[in-house]
Amino acid sequence: MTAKTKGVVFSLGLAALLVSCGRPSNTSKEAGQGIPNARMELMRDSKSDSPVHTIVMPHDEPAFPPGPGRDEFVAACVVCHSPRYITMQPRFSRSTWLSEVNKMKDAYGAHISDEQALRITEYLVSINGKAGTGQGPKGTYGE
Amino acid sequence: MNRRGFLQLIGATGVALMSSCNRVSSVVGALSSPTELVRFPEKTELMLLTDRPPQLETPIHYFRQDLTPNEAFFVRWHLEGIPISVDLRTFRLNVGGHVRQPLQLSVDELQSQFEPISIIAVNQCSGNSRSFFEPRVPGGQWKHGAVGNAKWTGVPVKSILDRAQLKSGAVDVSFNGLDVPPLPSVSDFVKALSIDHARDGDVMIAYAMNDQSLPMVNGFPLRLVVPGWYGTYWVKALSNITVLPQAFSNFWTDKAYRIPNAPNGTESPKDLAKDTVPINRFNVRSIFVRPDPDEILRPGMPTEIEGIAFDSGYGIRRVEVSTDGGANWTDARLDPEIGKYSWRRWRASWIPRNRGQYRLMARATNAVGETQSKEQWNRSGFMWNVIQQVDVKVG
Repeated sequence: MTAKTKGVVFSLGLAALLVSCGRPSNTSKEAGQGIPNARMELMRDSKSDSPVHTIVMPHDEPAFPPGPGRDEFVAACVVCHSPRYITMQPRFSRSTWLSEVNKMKDAYGAHISDEQALRITEYLVSINGKAGTGQGPKGTYGE
Repeated sequence: MNRRGFLQLIGATGVALMSSCNRVSSVVGALSSPTELVRFPEKTELMLLTDRPPQLETPIHYFRQDLTPNEAFFVRWHLEGIPISVDLRTFRLNVGGHVRQPLQLSVDELQSQFEPISIIAVNQCSGNSRSFFEPRVPGGQWKHGAVGNAKWTGVPVKSILDRAQLKSGAVDVSFNGLDVPPLPSVSDFVKALSIDHARDGDVMIAYAMNDQSLPMVNGFPLRLVVPGWYGTYWVKALSNITVLPQAFSNFWTDKAYRIPNAPNGTESPKDLAKDTVPINRFNVRSIFVRPDPDEILRPGMPTEIEGIAFDSGYGIRRVEVSTDGGANWTDARLDPEIGKYSWRRWRASWIPRNRGQYRLMARATNAVGETQSKEQWNRSGFMWNVIQQVDVKVG
């Protein structure tokens, strides 16, 4: 793991790193050796000599209305992903939302009890649910 | 407001509004509003699905270019911890596992010590067009823009494995990137290919995309390119290659990214398939790029219809177009092939005779006779390739 993370900064934990942007420098080792155009242009693309390439991620998260279950939702869900994972979905039935919450708990290990899962489900239904409690498609993984 | 009006509004209100940081917007009240455009680092304005981790969709008009500009190429990450800073002095591609000679290669060494290849290839998200499945399924609600076509330059995985000297009995090769899970309980995003697939000479590690460095959110500094296969295998910010003497197994292969083991990955919502397999190569599909859905056409005026079509590498051989909702079909003209893994452009000329609504459709067929679906559904919303319908108004 140390090899994997050496010299790399992650966007974890909402920490926006306010450092200057720079493009990677590409060495001039290949120049003039009959290298295909791709690498020549790659070098020309360099905007800076810094070997450290850094970006600053924007934070653009929607505000959520008050309601029963909102606290559990914010504590358990938003720690790992933007609430846009909810707002981009169509209005789903309670059973679909419950399936999504249980997927987060069982497959991804979200720190929520069964009771909290129900409260979060009620909150998701209240802000983006479909009337009635009819059956809907269950979520799967990797989508 | 129609889409065009929205786009004009975005242009008028300026870039600053769309790209400002720390902006909080009340999206809940706008669940059915037009798609929001955002500008991420090194990217142009793209359609926002999610911001953390980012999922950004390419507006269709970019597909009027054969190669999708890097700044417009779609973005899809799984885990919150995506790399935002990479130091090329310390970054290494680690190659290990069932090999005699483990390697730690810098990007500079990859560029200078291996013979480069370039391949033009489509990269498409498994869930591209998910929002068109009925009944709707949870997941990234992509329209048709989770796809792009680029010239990838880099080193075949075969060359690297040859240098690492495989031990006998290698079965799979796994690929891991710099992204990290937000919780220890979330599986790291690692994907694998069979040893034969990894060594086919086309699967490559790209350090350039359209002759430039990759944008950070598209996988800088290295990205696995798996021509003809869905984007889930195209591991971004590739840092670790591990050769395995047994079949690879993890959450992202055993539970996620699976399709029904049935023709075109289709199943019924009422009778979900029990037999599933990992998603793999692209099916055949085409996407309209002209006219705009909200473009008003004139009777008697020649109209150019245009689109792209692609498959997993057999090659597109025929695209048929209908302007009457599928009653009659005529062959579109195909542009020259620019690569077997590239998409291929098709065009058709049409003179609508009368005012009214017309339904345009396009159906692509590849060299082995595979064609597009009339209907399709699966629980994950993968592999959409239903014949597209575009309703236009002649007025």
